[in-house]
Amino acid sequence: MQRDLVIKWHFPHPAEKVWECLTTPELVSQWLMKNDFKPVVGHKFNFFTKPIPKMGFDGIVYCEVIEIVPGKKLVYTWKGGSAPDNLSLDTILTWTLTPREDGTELLLEHKGFKGFKNYITSIFMGSGWRKHIPRRMAQVLNEMK
Amino acid sequence: MRTTLDPFQAIADPSRREILMLLTKDKQTINGLAGNFDMSRPAVSKHIKVLYDAGLIMINNQGRERYCELKPDGFDRLKEWLEYFDKFWHNKLQNLENLLNQRKNEDN
Repeated sequence: MQRDLVIKWHFPHPAEKVWECLTTPELVSQWLMKNDFKPVVGHKFNFFTKPIPKMGFDGIVYCEVIEIVPGKKLVYTWKGGSAPDNLSLDTILTWTLTPREDGTELLLEHKGFKGFKNYITSIFMGSGWRKHIPRRMAQVLNEMK
Repeated sequence: MRTTLDPFQAIADPSRREILMLLTKDKQTINGLAGNFDMSRPAVSKHIKVLYDAGLIMINNQGRERYCELKPDGFDRLKEWLEYFDKFWHNKLQNLENLLNQRKNEDN
C-alpha cells in the first residue's frame, strides 16, 4: 500500500500550449510557484512559497529533473521538509500529456509518500488497533486505496 | 497539549515505528516497551517522548506506572498532509487552466 496521488485534468487547449506552461519558468511561476526550473535532465531546482511551520515545511521544494519527453512527459523529484538536511517528504512528480480531439489530457501523478507507506501499512496491519479504530481512520484507509 | 513535531519526522525512525506497532496490540508501560528493545531504557524513553511530542501517543499515569497508548487524533495530522496535496494540486491545476484561457484570449 502506498499513497499515490493521481489527478486527471482536461484542458481545451493544444498539448504544445500546455507543455509550454509546464516548462517555462515564468509561466510555471504564474500558476504553481516561483522557481528556477530548466528543462534539462539532471538540473536541480527549487520552488519557493510560504513556509508552513505547523506541517514542518520551510517553504522550499527541492527538485531534480529526472526525465523529459518534449511535449509529452516531464518527471522531477519533489522533496520538502523543515530544512534542507531534514527532507521528510521525498516524492516524485510525473506530468503526462495526451492530445485529445478537443484539447489535452494532463495526468498528474504525485508518488512515493514513503513515510506513509512504512508507517500506515504497519499500523493498520496491527490486530488490536482495529478494535478501537475510529471512523476517521477507516476514512484515511479508504482514501489510500 | 503541545504538538511541536512533524509526525513524518516521528515515524522516520524504525524503533519508533516498532513502538507504535507494539502499541497497536494494547497500551503498555514504558518499562514493558523497553523490554522489547536492546537499547537502554532512557533511549526508549527518548523515542517515546518524540512520539508524544508528535501527538501520536498519549501517556497516562496509573498508580506508579506510566502507560503509553496510541492517540487517534494524532493521525489527523497525517491525514491533513494527504488532503493538503489533493487540494493543493486541484487549486494549482485550476490556476493552470485559467492561465491557458487567458493566454488564448491574448492570442486572439
